[in-house]
Amino acid sequence: MNRMYNSMEPRVIDDDMLKVAVGEQGPREEAGQLAKQEGILFKDVMSLQLDFQNILHIDNLWQFENLRKLQLDNNIIEKIEGLENLVHLVWLDLSFNNIEAIEGLDTLVNLEDLSLFNNRISKIDSLDALVKLQVLSLGNNQIDNMMNLIYLRKFKCLRTLNLSGNPIAEAEDYKMFIYAYLPDLVYLDFRRIDDHAKKMAEMKHQYSIDEMKHRENQMQIKQEEEQARRMKLEEHKMAFVEHLDDSYLFDSMYAEDVEGNKLSYLPGVGDLLAAYKDKFVVICVNIFEYGLRQQEKRKIELDTFNECIQEAIQENQEEGRLKIAKFEEKHFMNLNSIREESDLLNIEKKIMECSEDITELFNVLMTLEMQLVEQLEETINMFERNIIDLVGLFIENVQGFMAQCRDLENHHHEKLLEIAINTLEKTAKGEIDDDLPEDVRALFIDKDTVVNAVGASHDIHLLKIDNREDELVTRVNSWCTHLVDKIHKDEIMRNRRRVKEINQYIDHMQNELDNLECVDIVD
Amino acid sequence: MEVLTETIEEDEAAEWEEAAEQPERSEKTRPAEAQKEETTLSPEMLRDLERKLSEIEVPTPADHQASFSTDADTIDISKLPLTYKTNTPRERLLLQVADNFSRQYSHLCPDRMPLFLHPLNECQVPKFVSTTLRPTLMPYPDLYNWDSCAQFVSDFLTMVPLPDPLKPPTHLYSSTTVLKCQKGNCFDFSTLLCSMLLGAGYDAYCVHGYGSWDLCHMDLTREVCPLTVKPQETVKKEEKAPPKKYAIKPPRDLTSRFEQEQEEKRQQEIRDQEEKLRKEAEERLLEETKVKPDSLHGLRVHSWVLVLSGKREVPETFFIDALSGRSYSPQDEHFLGIESIWNHKNYWVNMQDCWNCCKDLIFDLGDPVKWEYMLLGTDKPRLSLTEEEDEDFNDEDDVEAMGKEDEDKSFNMPPSWVEQIEITPEEFETRCPNGKKVLHYQRAQLEKWAPYLNPNGLVCRLTTYEDLECTQVLEIKEWYQNRGDKLELRHINKSTGLIIDYFKPGHPQALRVHSYKSMQPEMDRVMEFYETARVDGLLKREETPKTMTEYYQGRPDFLSYRHINFGPRVKKLSLNSTDSNPRPTVKITERFHRNPEKPADEDVAERVFLTTEERIQLRYHCRSDHITANKREFLRRTEVDNKGNKIIMTPDMCISFEVEPMEHTKKLLYQYETMVQLKNEEKLSKHQVWESELEVLEILRLLEEEEEAHTLTISIYDTKRNEKSKEYREAMERVLLEEHMRQVETQLDYLAPFLAQLPPGEKLTRWQAMHLKEECLGDFKQRLIDKANLIQARFEKETQELQKKQQWYQENQVTLTPEDEDLYLSDCSQAMFRIRILEQRLNRHKELAPLKYLALEEKLLKDPRLAELLKVFI
Repeated sequence: MNRMYNSMEPRVIDDDMLKVAVGEQGPREEAGQLAKQEGILFKDVMSLQLDFQNILHIDNLWQFENLRKLQLDNNIIEKIEGLENLVHLVWLDLSFNNIEAIEGLDTLVNLEDLSLFNNRISKIDSLDALVKLQVLSLGNNQIDNMMNLIYLRKFKCLRTLNLSGNPIAEAEDYKMFIYAYLPDLVYLDFRRIDDHAKKMAEMKHQYSIDEMKHRENQMQIKQEEEQARRMKLEEHKMAFVEHLDDSYLFDSMYAEDVEGNKLSYLPGVGDLLAAYKDKFVVICVNIFEYGLRQQEKRKIELDTFNECIQEAIQENQEEGRLKIAKFEEKHFMNLNSIREESDLLNIEKKIMECSEDITELFNVLMTLEMQLVEQLEETINMFERNIIDLVGLFIENVQGFMAQCRDLENHHHEKLLEIAINTLEKTAKGEIDDDLPEDVRALFIDKDTVVNAVGASHDIHLLKIDNREDELVTRVNSWCTHLVDKIHKDEIMRNRRRVKEINQYIDHMQNELDNLECVDIVD
Repeated sequence: MEVLTETIEEDEAAEWEEAAEQPERSEKTRPAEAQKEETTLSPEMLRDLERKLSEIEVPTPADHQASFSTDADTIDISKLPLTYKTNTPRERLLLQVADNFSRQYSHLCPDRMPLFLHPLNECQVPKFVSTTLRPTLMPYPDLYNWDSCAQFVSDFLTMVPLPDPLKPPTHLYSSTTVLKCQKGNCFDFSTLLCSMLLGAGYDAYCVHGYGSWDLCHMDLTREVCPLTVKPQETVKKEEKAPPKKYAIKPPRDLTSRFEQEQEEKRQQEIRDQEEKLRKEAEERLLEETKVKPDSLHGLRVHSWVLVLSGKREVPETFFIDALSGRSYSPQDEHFLGIESIWNHKNYWVNMQDCWNCCKDLIFDLGDPVKWEYMLLGTDKPRLSLTEEEDEDFNDEDDVEAMGKEDEDKSFNMPPSWVEQIEITPEEFETRCPNGKKVLHYQRAQLEKWAPYLNPNGLVCRLTTYEDLECTQVLEIKEWYQNRGDKLELRHINKSTGLIIDYFKPGHPQALRVHSYKSMQPEMDRVMEFYETARVDGLLKREETPKTMTEYYQGRPDFLSYRHINFGPRVKKLSLNSTDSNPRPTVKITERFHRNPEKPADEDVAERVFLTTEERIQLRYHCRSDHITANKREFLRRTEVDNKGNKIIMTPDMCISFEVEPMEHTKKLLYQYETMVQLKNEEKLSKHQVWESELEVLEILRLLEEEEEAHTLTISIYDTKRNEKSKEYREAMERVLLEEHMRQVETQLDYLAPFLAQLPPGEKLTRWQAMHLKEECLGDFKQRLIDKANLIQARFEKETQELQKKQQWYQENQVTLTPEDEDLYLSDCSQAMFRIRILEQRLNRHKELAPLKYLALEEKLLKDPRLAELLKVFI
C-alpha cells in the first residue's frame, strides 16, 4: 500500500531513530537548548511521532513508559507488537500499514483512540482490554462479516466508528444494522447519526436486539451471582471456616473412602450413616457460625486499633507541623536580618543563634517522635496480646468442636464394626442376603479383612478431620503472626521514614545557613 | 364587705389623711352601714337599703373643668357620636351601682383614696372606667403580640404628666380621641394599651396604683437602654468522646506540681485584686446613679397594665408600663402599690397590703379577701379556699354575695361607649407623633424616625455616652431603611473613629460589612462580602496603607488567601497623570486550599512573588504522612555568562527542598517550564491585584455617590410612595370615575327641571312637594299624550298618502308601463308595512302609558326629596 516508500529499505525501530525523533519533537527554543544540554530521557516523553519512516517492525519502545500518544502511521508494519509496556497510551495511530490482524493490544487499558485505517484487517477482535475506547477507525480494511460488528457492543464508551471502505459497507443494510446494534454511537463514517434514522433502525431490528439484550442480561446476572458467591467464599476463608456450613467435610470424608462406601451397603448402615451425617453437619455449622462471629470480633478489634494508631500519629504529626511552622517563621526573620546585617561579628553571632535554633528544632522533633514510638509500642503490644488471646480462644474452641466430631466418628466406627461383625457371622452361617454387590461380599471372607476395611475407613475419616483442623489452626496462626509482624514492621518503617525526614529537613536548613555564610564571607 | 386591717406605712400616712377628708359626702349612709355590720340583714332589708342608696346622687366636683380646659379646647366635641355625649339607662344604672360601691368602700376604708370609678370623658359625661375600655384587635400582624403593642403605644403617644401627681385625673378620654391628639397621661396610655391587648386575647387589666418618680415621668435615664444590652453568648461545651480501647496514653507529665500550685496561687491573687477593683468601680457607679430621695415617694399616682398568666400562653403575670412600653416583673421596685384594677368586664379593688411594693401581691382575682369585686358573675373563677376562714367572715361573705347576686341578676357591664379604635396604615407607619421620638436612657439616647421621613433613610439612632451627663459621645449606631445601597446599620465608634457599615444582601458588589476610618482610598479598611453572590468568591478584603489582604472561598483554583505588599508610588513625570497610577507591588503572597486531584507534594500551598527581588517562593502541601513539605525557590536572574551567551537556566536558580526526592523535578527543563508558568501566573496575579484596587475605588465611589444622592427604594407594593403605581392607580380611578359619571348621566333626574324653578337652598314645604309632584306627573302625562298624538298623526298621514297613491293608480292604470306598475306595487307594500308598524306602536303605547304613569308616581313617592313630605298623603 505504501508503494512510494518502496525505494527505501524496510526499517526496524532502533535507538538512533528514536533519539532523532525525540530530539526533533522535543521542546523548542530556550527550553530546547536546555533539553539538548541535558538530554531527554525516553520515559519522560509524552508523545511520539514516527510516521513515514518505512518501519516494518516495531521495537525498542519499552522505555517510553509514560507515552500518551503514539503515531506509527504510513509505515509498512505487518504485525502489532512491542507495545506491551506503553500502558498509559491514550492515542494510538496505526493507519496506512499492512496489518492483517488485531493483536498485541491487551495491556493498553487506557487507550481511547485507536486508528487502524487502511490496513488488511478482516476480523474485529482482541480488543477486549480496551474498556475506555471512544474512537475506533477501521476504514479501508477487509471486514466482511456483519455479525462481527456485534463484538463492538461491549465497548460502552465507544462513540465514533469508521468502517467505510470495507466490504460490509457495501451491504444494503449496513447503516441500519450498525444504528440498531450500537445505539450509543454518535458518529459513523465521519457523519453524525440522525436520531430519526436511529429510531427507524431500532424498529427494524427490534426482535433480534431484544433477544440479544435478554441473553446479555442473563449473562450479566449469572456473572453477578458468581461474583457474589466468590465474595462470600472469600469472606468465609477470611474466617478460616470455608465449606463448613454444609456437608462438604462429611462428603469429603467419604469421597476417598472405598471401604466405607462398600460397607454402606450393609443392612442398617444406611440409617446409621444418615444419623451420623446429621449430627456431624450440625457440629460443622456450629464451627462455621462460631468462626464468623470470631472473625467479626477480630475485625472490630483490628479496626479500633488502626483508628487509634492513626489518630495518635495524626496528632503527633500535627504537633510536629506546628513546631516546624513556628520555627520557619522565626528562622525566616533571622535569615532576613542576617542578610541585611553588615557587621561581620554580628552576622556570626546571628548565624550561631540560627544554628542553635535548628538544633533545638531537631531535638524537639526527635523528642516528639521518640515519645510517639514509645506510646505506639505500648499500644501495639497490648493489641498483640489481645489478638493472640482471641486467636488462642478461637483455636481452643474449634478444637473442642473437632473433638466432638472425632467422638462421633469413633461412635460410628464402633457401631459399624458391630454391624460388620454381625454380617460376617451371618455370612459364615450362610444367611447373607443375595443382593449385596460382589465386591462388598468379598470383604466378608474373614474377620481380619472386615476389621481392616472398617478400620481403614475409620482412619481415613479421622485423617480428614485432623487435616481440616490442622489447616484451620495453621492458617489462623499464620494470619495472626503475619498481622503482628506487619504491624511491627510498619511501625518501624514509619519511624525510620520520620527520622529520615527530620534529618533531611534539618540538613537542608543547615545547608541553607551554611550557604548564606559562604555567600556572606565571599561578599 | 370585710373590714380592712391594714398597717399604714409612715410615708403613706399623708396620703391617707388627705384621702380621708374626701369621703365626708357619704356620711349620711354611715348609720345604715353600721347597722349592716352589726347584724345580718334580711334580703328585703338589703334591697331596700340598696334602693335607698342608689337614690342618692353624688355631685361631681366642679373644679374638674378647669384642669382640662386646655385640652378641651383642642377637641371638637361636635363631631363625636352620641354615645360620647349621653349615658344610656344601663350606663346610668351602672354609675349608680358604682357610686354605691364607692360609698360603701369609703365607709369601710375611710383612710384610703377614693376609687377611680367614673371620670368624665371629653364631653364632660361621667363614664365608668370599664366601659372606656374597647377591646380591639388591630389589623396589623405586628400588633398581635404584647411587646410590639406596648412599643407602639409608647411610640405613638406623647406623654403628658398628670395635672396632680397625687390624684388620679378627673377626666379619662376615649381612646379614639387620645389617638387623634396623640398625647395623653398614663391612664390614657394604659387604657389604649389594655384595649389592644384585650382585643388580642390577653388577660389584661388597667391598674390604678402608685409608681416611682421615674415611672410617672417616664424617666428612663436610670435604665439601661435595651438596645445596648448585648445578648449573652452561650458557650457550648464540646462533648469528649470516651477514650477508645487502644487510645495511646499521654506522655508522662514531668512538670512540678508544687510550682504549678504556686503559680495558681499567684494568679488567684491577681484575679482577686482585679475583682476587688471591679467591685469598687461598680459600687461607685451605683452611688452615682442612686435615686434622689423623693419626698412624694409612694404617693405618686400612676397607671399601667397588668397581664395575668394563662391566656395567649403567657407563662407569668407581669406589668407593662404603657408609657415606656417596657415590661416589668411584679417584683419590680418601681411599682409601689395598687389601688384597683379593671378590665372591660369588671372592677376590682385591692385589699392587700402594699407595704412591700407589689412584691407580695397575689393576683388571684377570684379571692374576695384579696380583691374586692364590684360586679358579680364575671368570668373569673371563684377561689376555692384551702385554709379555713373565720365563721364571721364566711357569714358576711355569704350575705354580701347574696345581695350582689340579686343586683347582678339584671346587671352586666354595658357595652363600651367608645367607638372602634382605628389606626390608619399611615399612622401605623409614622408611629411617633410627627414621625419622630427621642428617648433618654442611662448613658444613651435613642432617636426614632418614621421610614421615608429622613431623606437618607435614617430610622433610628442610638447614641451611647461615656458619662452619666451625656456629654462624651462613646459610639453612635444608626439604623437605616429602604436605602438604595442597602445600608442597614452604621456603627460609629467615636473613641477610635472607626465606622462600620452593615449592608443587606443586594449591593452591586455584594458588600456585607465595611469598616473604615475614612472614605479615602488606600487607608485602613475592611470590607466583607456575601461570597456566594460574587463570581470570584471573595469573602473579605482588608486594607492598610501598605498592604491588602483578600480572603476567598469556594474557588475552582482553590485560592484562599492573597496578601499584597505595596511599595511607595513611583512619581510619574509624564503628562498623562490623569491615568490611574497603581502602586507597585512588592510582594504577593497567595495561599491555596488542597486540590484533591493532585498529589500533595505537587499541589502548591503557598506561593510568594517577590517582584522587586525577582524571586518566587513555592511551598507545597504536606503529605498526610509527612510533617515537612516541599519547598522551591526560583531566582529569576537573567544574566549573561562569560562567553556572552544568555544563561537560560542554571541549577543555582532553583533551590528546592524535597521530602522525597523525585527524579524528574531535578531536571533543568522541568524547572524551566515551571518557572515560565510561574512568570505568567505572576503577571495574572498582578493584574488581579490591579483589578482589586480598581474595585475598591469603584465601591468607594458608589458609596459616596449614594451618600450624596440618598435614593430610597420604594417597594412596588407601597402604593402611596411608588410613583409608577400611584400613576397607575390614579389612572384607574379616573377611568372608574368617568364610567360612573356616564352612568349618572344616563339616569337623568326627572325632578331637576321642576326643582330648578323653586328658590334654591330652601327646604321644600309640604305644599311645594305636592305641587312638585303634581306638576311632574302632569308633565309626564302631557308627554305621553303628545307621543300618542304624534304616532296618530303619522299614521293618518301615511294612510292618506296611501289612499292618494291608490287613487292615482286607478286613474292612470291603463297608461302605466309594467315598470311603473311594479314600482307602484312595491311602494304600496312598503307603505302598508309602515302603517302596520305605526298601528302596532300606537296600540302598545296606549297599553303602556298608564303603567308608565303609575310607575312614575310611585317613584316620586319614594324619591328621598319628596318622600318625607308626601308620606302623610298616602
